[in-house]
Amino acid sequence: MASEESALSPGRSIWAGVLIGVGVAAFLDETVFHQLLHWHHFYDRSTPAVGLVSDGLFHAFGWFATVIGLIMVADLVRRSGLSGRALAGGVLLGAGAFQLYDGTIQHKILRLHQIRYHVEIAPYDWSWNVIAVILLLVGAWVLRREGRRR
Amino acid sequence: MTAYAAALAAVALYIAGALRLRRRGDAWSPWRALSFGVGACGAAVAVAAPLPGGAFTAHMVQHLILGMYAPLLLVLGRPITLALRALPPGRVRRGLLGTARSRAAAFLVFPPVAAALDVGGLWILYRTPLFAATHERPWAHALVHLHVLLAGVLFTVAVCQVEPLRHRYSIALRGATLVLAGAAHAVLAKSLWVTPPPGFSAPDPHTGAEVMYYGGDVAEIALAVVLALRWYAAGGRALRRPARSSGGRPHSRTGRARTPLPTKLER
Repeated sequence: MASEESALSPGRSIWAGVLIGVGVAAFLDETVFHQLLHWHHFYDRSTPAVGLVSDGLFHAFGWFATVIGLIMVADLVRRSGLSGRALAGGVLLGAGAFQLYDGTIQHKILRLHQIRYHVEIAPYDWSWNVIAVILLLVGAWVLRREGRRR
Repeated sequence: MTAYAAALAAVALYIAGALRLRRRGDAWSPWRALSFGVGACGAAVAVAAPLPGGAFTAHMVQHLILGMYAPLLLVLGRPITLALRALPPGRVRRGLLGTARSRAAAFLVFPPVAAALDVGGLWILYRTPLFAATHERPWAHALVHLHVLLAGVLFTVAVCQVEPLRHRYSIALRGATLVLAGAAHAVLAKSLWVTPPPGFSAPDPHTGAEVMYYGGDVAEIALAVVLALRWYAAGGRALRRPARSSGGRPHSRTGRARTPLPTKLER
C-alpha cells in the first residue's frame, strides 16, 4: 500500500498544486489589479487580436484549473495520498509560471495591457517579473527538498 | 406570455412525472425538481420580463440567463431521465429513448459540436448583420432566443453528461471544450467592448460587454464544479466497489469491512 501511494501521490499533489497556483494567480490578477486598484484596463485599445485570444484562454483556464485542482486535492485526501509539501511546491510553481507568462509574454510581447498607466513602467515590470521568478525558485526548492526526503 | 405558458406547461409535466414516481414508491430528488422549476422560471422571465440597465446591457443579462444559467438548472433537473422513468412502456417512451440515443443526438452533444453551435452562434449573431436584423423582425428575434436556449441546453448536456446518451465522452475532452468555449466567449465579450454593434450609446455597450465577460465566468465555474463533482463521485463509486479482480484489500477510508477475507487470512 505504502509503495503504491508514494508512486501515485507526489506527482498528483504537484499537479493539483500547479492548477491551483495558476488559478489563484489569475484570480488575484483579476481582483487586485483590475477590480480593486483599477491599474489594469479591461482593454486598452492597443492590444492585437492574438493578445485577446491569449487573455481569453488564460482567463477561462484559470477558473477551470482552480476547480479541478481543488477537487483533485479532495480526491487525494480521500485516498490518504496527499503530500502537503508537494502541493505547496506545485502552487508556487503554478503561480510563478502564470505571473511570469503574464508579465513577459502577455504584457510586453502581446501588449495585452500594462501593469499601470501614466507612470514610469519599468519598475513595475521588474517587480512583477522578479516576484514571478522568486515564486518559481522557491517552488522548485520546496519540491527538491520534498524529493530528497523520499 | 407564450414564454410563461411554455414554462408553466413544462413545470406541470415535470411535477406530474415526479409525482407518478413518488406514488409508486420510487425516489426522485426534490432538488432536481427545484432546479428544473427555477430554470424554467428564469428562462421565461429572461424572455418576457423587463430587465435592468441600458438596452444592450439588458440584452446581455437576458442572454446570460437564457443561454447559460437556465440551461444548467434545467439540465440538472434531468427531465429526460425523469420522463423515461415516468412514462409507461409504449410508443411515446420508445420514441423519446430512440431520440435520446440516436446518432443525430450523439452528434449534437459531441462536445466540440455543441460548443460550436452555442458560442459559434453568438459570434454569428453579434459579428454579422443578423443582430440588427433581429430588431426589425420579431420572428427572427424569437428564433434567436430559441436557438440560444436550445444551444445552451445542448452545451450543458455535452459538458455535464447527466442524461442518458449514446456515448460517454472523456472528462479531458469535455474539460478542454469547456475551457475553449469559455475563452471564445471571453474574447467575443472583449471584442464587443471594443466595437459594439451600432445603435447603442455609451456607456451601455461597455457595461453590457463586461456583464457578458464576468457573467460568462460564473457559468463556466458552475459547469466546472458539476464536471468536477461528477468525476469525484465516480471515483468514490470505484473506491467502494470490491476490488475482486486485483485481489486488493478494502480501502482503509471507506470503513466498509468485507468480513470473509480477513477471517480466512487469520486462520
